[in-house]
Amino acid sequence: MTPTIELDGLEVQLGGRTILHSLTGVLKSRAIGLLGPNGAGKSTLINTLLGFHVPSKGSARVLGLNSHTSGKALRSLVGYMPENDAFISKMSGVRFVRYMAEISGLPSEQAMERAHEAFVYVGLGEARYRPVGTYSLGMKQLAKLAQAIAHGPKVLILDEPTNGMDPPARKRLIELIREIREASDICLLLSSHLLRDVEETCDEVLILRNGQIASICNLVEERRANRKFLELETIGAEATFTTALESLGCECAVFNSGRIKVVMPDRVEIREVFKVAADRGVQIRRMNHRRDSLEDIFLNAMEQTGAPDGRL
Amino acid sequence: MAVYKRRYNSYTGSLTPAWSRFFVLTRFAFADLFKSRFFVLLLILCIVPCLFSAGYIFVANNKTLQLLMQLRSEMDFFKVESQYFIVIMIVQAEAAFLLNCWVGPVLISGDLTNGALPLFLSRPFSRADYVLGKLAVLGLLLSAVTWIPCLLLFSLQSGLAHNGWIWSHLWMVVPILLCSAIWILTLSLISLAVSAWVKLRIVATGVIFITFFIPAGLGEMFNHIMGTYWGALLNFTYMFRIILERGFRDPYRLLDQMSRNEIPILAAWASLIFVCLLSLVILNARLRARETVRG
Repeated sequence: MTPTIELDGLEVQLGGRTILHSLTGVLKSRAIGLLGPNGAGKSTLINTLLGFHVPSKGSARVLGLNSHTSGKALRSLVGYMPENDAFISKMSGVRFVRYMAEISGLPSEQAMERAHEAFVYVGLGEARYRPVGTYSLGMKQLAKLAQAIAHGPKVLILDEPTNGMDPPARKRLIELIREIREASDICLLLSSHLLRDVEETCDEVLILRNGQIASICNLVEERRANRKFLELETIGAEATFTTALESLGCECAVFNSGRIKVVMPDRVEIREVFKVAADRGVQIRRMNHRRDSLEDIFLNAMEQTGAPDGRL
Repeated sequence: MAVYKRRYNSYTGSLTPAWSRFFVLTRFAFADLFKSRFFVLLLILCIVPCLFSAGYIFVANNKTLQLLMQLRSEMDFFKVESQYFIVIMIVQAEAAFLLNCWVGPVLISGDLTNGALPLFLSRPFSRADYVLGKLAVLGLLLSAVTWIPCLLLFSLQSGLAHNGWIWSHLWMVVPILLCSAIWILTLSLISLAVSAWVKLRIVATGVIFITFFIPAGLGEMFNHIMGTYWGALLNFTYMFRIILERGFRDPYRLLDQMSRNEIPILAAWASLIFVCLLSLVILNARLRARETVRG
C-alpha cells in the first residue's frame, strides 16, 4: 500500500532561513494529524506538500506523488482548506464553491450540483445564496471546507480548521471531518493546535518542533497497546486470582489494598478477566485502561531535545 | 453527497480538459462584468465610433447619396484609404484604454484581497493558467472594440467598393491585427500588474492613468533637458501611434508631425515589449500562493 506521506530528508528554506530541517518519515495512516507549537513548521510543511514551496533538499511525496516534480498531478487529488481567510467576498457561497469545483475540472452542471450538495452537507444550506463576505467566521470556515470537498478529492488537507469556532460549531466540524473520513477512502491531513481535534479525528500524528520531527506516533497502535494494560481495584482477590490470570497468559503485579496491574496478551479479552473474577468471587470495584493521552505524547515530544523520527 | 442523503461521496464523473480550465476564470469574470450597467453602457459607447465609421463608408461608396447631400466635390472628399483606418484604430485604441481602465483593476485584486489565490493554486491550476484566464478577459473585451470592428469595417468597404479594392488593400489586415495585438497586450498586462499590486479600484484606475501619462511627461522633460528625442520611448501611446503609422505606410506622416525627430519603429516595438515584460515580472512577484518574509 502506498504511504500517505513520505518525507525523505526534506529541507525547506524561506527568505534565507531554513524552516524545515531534514524531515524524514513515513506516514501510512489515512488520517494524519500535524501538531506542533507556533513556528514549528506545520504550515510550511503543508505548503510544501501542495507544491507552494520548493524543497531546497530532499523530497516530499503524497500518495507516491512528488510534491515538486508531480505537483499538478498531486494537486488534482487534493482538497485544501487554508488557515487564513480565503474567499471571494462578493460571490455567493454556492457560486464560490461552484467556481472552485470548475477550476478543479468538474463540468459546469456537475460543479453546480456538487456545490449545492457540499453547502447543504456542511450545514450552510440556508446561507448558500448570501455573499461569502457577509458570513461569520465559523460560516467562512465551513464554506472553506465546502470548497475543499466539492470536487471529491482523495486527500483532504485541513489547516487549523476549527480556528475561531465556538464549541458547538467546533464539535459539528469535527463530526463532519470524521464522517468524511469514514464515508469514503479519503486521506486526511489535519493541522491543529488543539490536541483534542487531532485525537478525535486522526490515526497517526506527526509532531514538529523547530522545523524538526519531534515524533511520529501511531495513535491506533498506541491505543491498542494501552488497551492491554489494566489497573484493577479488587476486593477478595487472593493468590488464586492472579494465578488464574497468569494461566491465561497475563502478567500481574499485586499491590496493597487489592490493587493489581495486569498486562494482557493480544488474544485475551477483558471479559475473560471478569469471568475469572466471577468464578473466584472476586469483586472488581474499579478498572482503568492506562492511557497515554495525546497531550502526554505531545508534551513528551516537546521535552525531548533531539529529533527522533520513530515512535515514542 | 446527495442533498437528501447528507453524506459525503467522492466524485467519479468526467473532468474537463486541463488546458481549457483557464477559461473558467474568463467566464466567471464576464458574468460579473455584465451585471454592471455602467460596464454595458461603456462597452456600447466604445463601439459607437465604429457605427459612425460604417456610415462614412456607406456614404463614401454611394455617389447618389453624395449628390443628394451636395457633398460631391472634385477633390473626392470621401476616401477610404490607410489614413481612414489609422484614425479609426486610434479612436478605438483610446476607447480600449478607457474600457481597460474600468475592467482591469478589479480582475486580480478581488482574489488577492481575501486571500483566494491559494485556493486557485492548490488545484491543478498554475499561475500561468491564472494569468492566462484573466488576460483572456481583457483580450476578448479589447478585441471587441479594436481589431474586430476594424476588420468588419474593412469587410464592409470591401463589399461596397468595387474595382478590386479588396485586393489592393488586403495588406492592411496585417497592421490592423498586429497593431491591435500589441496595444491589447500592453494595456492588459499593465492593468493586470496594477491590479495585482493595488487593491482599491479607484486607486488602481489612477495608477493605470499615471503609468501612461507620468512617464510620457518625464520623457518630454528628458527631451527638453537633454535636447534629444529618445525620451518619447516612455510615451507608450505615442509608440503605438508610430507602430500604427509605419504599419499603414502613412504617406502623409500626419502623426509624426508632432515629433521633431524619428524614433525607429524597432525602438517603438521594443518599448512596448519591455513594458509587457516588466508587467509580467510584477505579476510573477505578486501572484504567489504564499508570501515569503525575508530575514
